[in-house]
Amino acid sequence: MSAELNNFFTAKRLRWFAAAIVLVNGFFPAVWILFTSLKNEVELTAKPITYWPQNPVLSNYVAAFRDQPLPGYLLNSVIVATLSMLLALFISTLAAYAIARLNLKRRNLILTAIIAVSMFPLVTLMVPLFEIMRGLNLLNTYTALVLPYTVLNLPICTLVLVSFFQDIPRDIENAAMIDGCTRLGALWHVVMPLAAPGVFTAGILAFVNAWDEFLLSISMNAAVAYRTLPVGIQMYQGEFSFPWPTISAALVIALIPVVTVILIFQERVVSGLTSGGLKG
Amino acid sequence: MTARSLRDRILDPSETALAWALLAPALLFIAIIVAYPVATLLINSFFDIRLSRGLPTSFIGFDNYAAALHDSMFWRAVKNTLIITFVTVPGALVVGLGLAMLANMPFRFRGPIRLALLLPWALPLAFVGLIFAWFFHSEYGIINDIIRRFGGAPQIWFNSPGLTMMAICIATIWKTSSFMALILLAGLQTIPASLYEAAEVDGASKWTQFVEITLPLLVPSMLVALIFRTLTAIQSFDIPFSMPGPGEETQTLAMYIQLNTVDYLDLGYGSTLAVFMFLLSMATTWVYLRYVRGDKD
Amino acid sequence: MQHLILISLLMAAFLLPARAQPTNPIHLKAYIGGQQRPDIMRDLFAQYMAANPGIKVSLEVGGATSDLHQKYLNMVLSAKDTTLDVFLIDIIRPAQFAAAGWAEPLDAYLGSDREAFMSRYLPAYREANTVNNQVIALPALADSLFLYYRKDLLAKYQEPPPTTWPELARVAKKIQRGENDPNLQGLSFQGKAVEGAVCTFLLPYWSLGGEIIRDGKMSFERNKAEAGLNMWRTMVSEGVAKKNSAEVGTDDTRKEFQAGKVIFGVIWGYAWNHFQGGADTRVKDKVGVTTLPAMPGGKPVSCMGGWNWSVSAYSKHKAESVALVRWLSSPEVSKQLALKGSFHPVFPSVYKDPEVLKAIPWFADALPVVETARARPVTPMYRAISDALRINTNTVMAGVKTPQQALDEIEQRVARALR
Repeated sequence: MSAELNNFFTAKRLRWFAAAIVLVNGFFPAVWILFTSLKNEVELTAKPITYWPQNPVLSNYVAAFRDQPLPGYLLNSVIVATLSMLLALFISTLAAYAIARLNLKRRNLILTAIIAVSMFPLVTLMVPLFEIMRGLNLLNTYTALVLPYTVLNLPICTLVLVSFFQDIPRDIENAAMIDGCTRLGALWHVVMPLAAPGVFTAGILAFVNAWDEFLLSISMNAAVAYRTLPVGIQMYQGEFSFPWPTISAALVIALIPVVTVILIFQERVVSGLTSGGLKG
Repeated sequence: MTARSLRDRILDPSETALAWALLAPALLFIAIIVAYPVATLLINSFFDIRLSRGLPTSFIGFDNYAAALHDSMFWRAVKNTLIITFVTVPGALVVGLGLAMLANMPFRFRGPIRLALLLPWALPLAFVGLIFAWFFHSEYGIINDIIRRFGGAPQIWFNSPGLTMMAICIATIWKTSSFMALILLAGLQTIPASLYEAAEVDGASKWTQFVEITLPLLVPSMLVALIFRTLTAIQSFDIPFSMPGPGEETQTLAMYIQLNTVDYLDLGYGSTLAVFMFLLSMATTWVYLRYVRGDKD
Repeated sequence: MQHLILISLLMAAFLLPARAQPTNPIHLKAYIGGQQRPDIMRDLFAQYMAANPGIKVSLEVGGATSDLHQKYLNMVLSAKDTTLDVFLIDIIRPAQFAAAGWAEPLDAYLGSDREAFMSRYLPAYREANTVNNQVIALPALADSLFLYYRKDLLAKYQEPPPTTWPELARVAKKIQRGENDPNLQGLSFQGKAVEGAVCTFLLPYWSLGGEIIRDGKMSFERNKAEAGLNMWRTMVSEGVAKKNSAEVGTDDTRKEFQAGKVIFGVIWGYAWNHFQGGADTRVKDKVGVTTLPAMPGGKPVSCMGGWNWSVSAYSKHKAESVALVRWLSSPEVSKQLALKGSFHPVFPSVYKDPEVLKAIPWFADALPVVETARARPVTPMYRAISDALRINTNTVMAGVKTPQQALDEIEQRVARALR
């Protein structure tokens, strides 16, 4: 590196530069839809395109709430993602503990089998799943999405938790058992608190995966009362029209809870994800 | 209580029973939600089941498989899927690594940086597809506007299969590099600073430190991230679906399966295509696992 | 003894209210898409419930596009779901619903009235809903592609509305030259791979007498198809239509015509209200409507759209559902739909109704166009054929495929769909 370049890239400048890249990369699309949501249709099709909204309007937000039951979609997404996260955590904690700690032959094979679930894409399982849910009379219920999402999340949750459990010294657990704890007692009182970052990581992963899903959601819960957000947003399109400003407004609203959750939990999300849980 | 009896208790045969009891819910769920549908699919793939014709289903052996092998749309879908996989998985890894290293610098205000890192990950795929389709719109998109400002020739992106694939890959890399970065950031933070200090003393350049210390120590976190990323790349649906190129030139395998099952109601053929997708996923996983094992030996 | 009294009292308590009240209302569930004005439909159901006290009708609203609408019905009905009783289906679907056994044939319910009953509808709608001589659905909403043109500009250059495509190109070029506005498009049509592109393909092909299916078998006439695709390509290469016509979806034509940037626009009936009453319209009172042009030596023809009421074969209340559907597809309701939602009627008589004509004067011009409209290929495998046509029309417009390559693929895909 030449001296000149080294002079330019002082540590401080470099940091600012790095921060700028990360910030622009992360925020740009969200900021762009925010701008779009404030433009009217005339400004949107103006040439050359405008960046900053010339005459900001809020009418798109009014339309976003008027045309579709947006709060309902949000609520459904939150309910489905939360329930499937809790269920996935519960089931994968038990399984991961068995695999990481208990006397089990072929534990690697079992772990591989659970991870293999990821190889079967939801799109291929959709039709049989639809028939199962119909058979159980579960179409257009939260359960119809919570069950598949739970299974969808088992591989990654189990993998994360196994690696966290393996990092917890056995002595601590043994000590608890000498004090008269049962196996499950030790799991609940000793192992779980120590593995909290792992549980948190797995939970966040499960939540976001469920929050993301579109294809199964539109198939199982097409009724308006049970639509999740990704499906609901698609409903703004008309047969012939694609109302960009309204959709942008709806997207901005849909982002608010996500951004809020991240802002509240950012410390834990990042430390959870970065405390070595996914080191294989 | 002696150490001996404690060991007996841990390796107690009744513990095996407990282990299976703890595994039971996971296995039961997998059986209902995955194993049963997969079995149904395998059986269906040997039948002619076209619901929209209303004819009785008939056993046709490997006819669906033969039809797929001669179906140019199937091969095109496989090709597109593989392109997306081979471009976006390494792409997300490189971009993710870059973001992770940038984010790993000592900043005073970490909040916005973290939010910027997490946001793409938390944005549903379907939204990402919509947003990037808008970016690449030939008349109202910002990409062409920027090209125009720099004196370049604006493109009609979705008129050309090549340019559409490029747009799809860019959107996919943007979305997935965020998760990659988080996992790699985890790996970076576990690398002891003392290693770098020692290298500094030895006079190693930053680049040498990166190649000799950072990369090798990141390999385990990379592998996990790569396996999951590759499997999801093979299943690419939402983004290519929201950013269609001309005709069906940029259709992926998942889109083609969806088209045959849900739109054409050709369950037999759709199931056969699904079986091919399983095979593709299994082959990929096998390659990774082989690498992981080979690495450990 | 005391027990006996108690039991009989209890029984009376259970039985009396049951006897005093009418039998439980029959609950029917109707499914429509978001584009079919749920507000107007709810109002219609309220009228029906008021007139039929034993019936309760509730509404399920699906996605606003025909494709999303159909995806849902495909899932629900392939699982033999019994919760939906009646649904609106696109005019292109009756054959699929008939073959799959999803729609209850209505002949038995119509009885000896059938011929008289069906003959009241526009002939094309009667035919599109009759599959293998069975009535599969009853027409509800009509639609058609129209040629919208700028009355003011044609008058300024003293040109009558063109009757053939080359004529249209000549007039468009003359006006484009005269106006000297690089942003003024001569013609806007749908080259994007949407359902409208099927009509883009079919308009010139039909005009030359081509058919996709004759007597249930593929009958693909390459030379006519090629002439049609070449006609559209010429429109683009000569600058009559814009260069990125492969990106133009239905509403793009509407928006650009409305912004005054288009001389001739090929688009469905919904556009009229936007042109005349849209908030930012620049073409108010400058719009004319006429039949679509013909190919040289061909006949003028339009593409038919619309929606029909069908009764689910899995419904538990078929007789009640049929009664509801008969009413929903009656002239009174057709008139209400026209007055409240500007939907095109399915009865010729309603187009001529003075009250309707007073509210929607352009229906006088619309009727002759609707009468030239033809149904897209009638086959259970329609969706696969639609894809073959729209995808290849789009790739030709995008310049990714030559017409020859596109025709090869159309032939292959149609053959596979009809196997």
